[in-house]
Amino acid sequence: MKRISLVQIKANELVKILEILGGSNLENKLLSMGVYKGKSVTKLSHIGLKGPVVIKTGRSILALGHSVAEKIIIQRE
Amino acid sequence: MIKKIYLIGNPNVGKSVVFSRLTGVQVISSNYPGTTVEIAKGYLRLGNEKVQVVDLPGTYSLDPTSKAEEVAVSLLKEYPKEEIAVVNIIDSTNLERNLLLTLQLIERGFPVVICMNMCDDAGHRGVHIDIAKLEELLKSPVISTCALTGVGIKLLTERIKEGVSAPKGQFTHHERWLEIGKIIEQVQRLEHRHHTFREIIEDASVRPVSGLLMAGAIIYTAFKIVRFIGEGIINRITDPLFINIYQPVLEKLSSSWQQKGFWFHLLIGDLINGKIDFKQSLGVLTTAPYIEFGMVLPYVVSFYFILSLLEDIGYLPRLAVLLDNLLHRLGLHGYAVIPVLLGFGCNVPGILSTRVLESKRERFIAATLISIGVPCIPLQAMIFGLLGKFGGFYVVGVYLVLFSLVIILGVILNRFLSGYSPEFLLEIPPYRFPPLRMLWKKLYFRIKGFLVEALPIVLLGVGFINILLYYKLFDFVTAIFAPVVHGLFGLPKEAVVALAIGFLRKDVAVGMLMPLGLTANQLFIGATLLAISFPCVASFVVLAKELGLSGLIKSVLIMAGISIIVGSMLHFLILR
Repeated sequence: MKRISLVQIKANELVKILEILGGSNLENKLLSMGVYKGKSVTKLSHIGLKGPVVIKTGRSILALGHSVAEKIIIQRE
Repeated sequence: MIKKIYLIGNPNVGKSVVFSRLTGVQVISSNYPGTTVEIAKGYLRLGNEKVQVVDLPGTYSLDPTSKAEEVAVSLLKEYPKEEIAVVNIIDSTNLERNLLLTLQLIERGFPVVICMNMCDDAGHRGVHIDIAKLEELLKSPVISTCALTGVGIKLLTERIKEGVSAPKGQFTHHERWLEIGKIIEQVQRLEHRHHTFREIIEDASVRPVSGLLMAGAIIYTAFKIVRFIGEGIINRITDPLFINIYQPVLEKLSSSWQQKGFWFHLLIGDLINGKIDFKQSLGVLTTAPYIEFGMVLPYVVSFYFILSLLEDIGYLPRLAVLLDNLLHRLGLHGYAVIPVLLGFGCNVPGILSTRVLESKRERFIAATLISIGVPCIPLQAMIFGLLGKFGGFYVVGVYLVLFSLVIILGVILNRFLSGYSPEFLLEIPPYRFPPLRMLWKKLYFRIKGFLVEALPIVLLGVGFINILLYYKLFDFVTAIFAPVVHGLFGLPKEAVVALAIGFLRKDVAVGMLMPLGLTANQLFIGATLLAISFPCVASFVVLAKELGLSGLIKSVLIMAGISIIVGSMLHFLILR
């Protein structure tokens, strides 16, 4: 199966997080902000080619730097 | 016996507003995460005793992942758990995310009182929370408050000691999120709503095309309004006051003065064509108050009005998202726009707030770029006042030079400094429209702060300069630096004094350029140099504090080098 990350999908898609790559520091940080394995998120926008990705999860809106978004592997729902 | 009360909560839930309500101590609060970079302390009267209240920086969990969070967590451990009360402040519109910290606090046995803040906003957004049920599930007191209006604060103080310590085993974050899911299901009811106008605007401001268009329009309008209000105050209020009321009094004093010696020179200064000229006389009673009240203060008022408005509405984090891409190339990330914008008011809070950036490298780059390329509002006000009369072209020119410098220098620093810049991860708050009363309060607080800090230095500074000028003590310094200032920068040698005074205060320094009769081009070079050269002494002190000695030396060497290069380049490009 091809693994797709948050940067590879279009805006307004609702997806489920499969895995968070990168160190445990990043994982913990995202975890404490409510972004973790199994959570559903909606991608709101993507600024420019290498810019940040904005997502909505629960009632929060989060901006993730491009390289953070690349590490979040997702599954389309 | 409770010795301390700690306010803890996620970033941007209104801790500082609750703190102000409890203690009466005014602190700056805004609608973005990370406003509180210094820990505020105050006192709350509980019956007969006074207990210290500490406003901790926002944190998402008790396992710190940033410097501000570390500070918050380590402060919590200062006293034994029996001797403290912990008030966990929660944004009611986003209970789910906030509960992670709450569960951790309870697990570790902190005596917690939960303050469900922004309860009115939750109602507006169709979020309904069963407070009694939540209290039952968490086994801790839960109080619904709206700190902006003061609702619930009295009840909070009455119940502040009711938290009990009941440590549980430690769970993992995943287990906590499962638990939170269950709690939310039982206590929160969401009204189904269509997209409101506010939500549509919220979305549009972080989308690429609409977002950039909005950002451009907002920045342009903000700048225009700052100029409009600033000039309006000068033309309608301060200038008439100075010219019609203050000047006749001073003229009378001046003409009845018998021997125009040392004291006359100190207080009134030089007469221009037999009269007092507020812009050129350079006396402690003439030019000094005119610079501060007649030229700078109007812009301080208008700038902080607009900045406070943008802060409270919650626009700044959105600007951070849009500019992340550009700032990455300078070794920073989007959130650096916050220190930069604060720096446009005064470099001191700007440099202090670089603490919202995580790595030392980022803080160094941001602080250095702010000191060089971000002119504070007093300096900008003087540039408007002086260069503006030669045409807007010159004013725009100064900003263009500074902007290009920041970009070039940022790219270079990013390339050659070792270390890494951590990733951008930021929560975007919803737009909020706090009552105007809060805005006035904040504006008043900032203007008062400006006057208390600036006025004594300006009056003493002008006096001190006058003494040195009277006894011709500057001639020595002037002689040393004249070759650089005259030869390289193309300015008259008297400008040495002005550039030196820049270390004291930038607005006074530009003021010293006023009587020199410079051409528009010379004034342009002088003003640009004042912006990029040495920071004023107040910024210097915070730079030293934030960067340490070696960082400070590096930063200062960069500034000196750049000033000489830019000064000579401008000289040869436009004066020759």
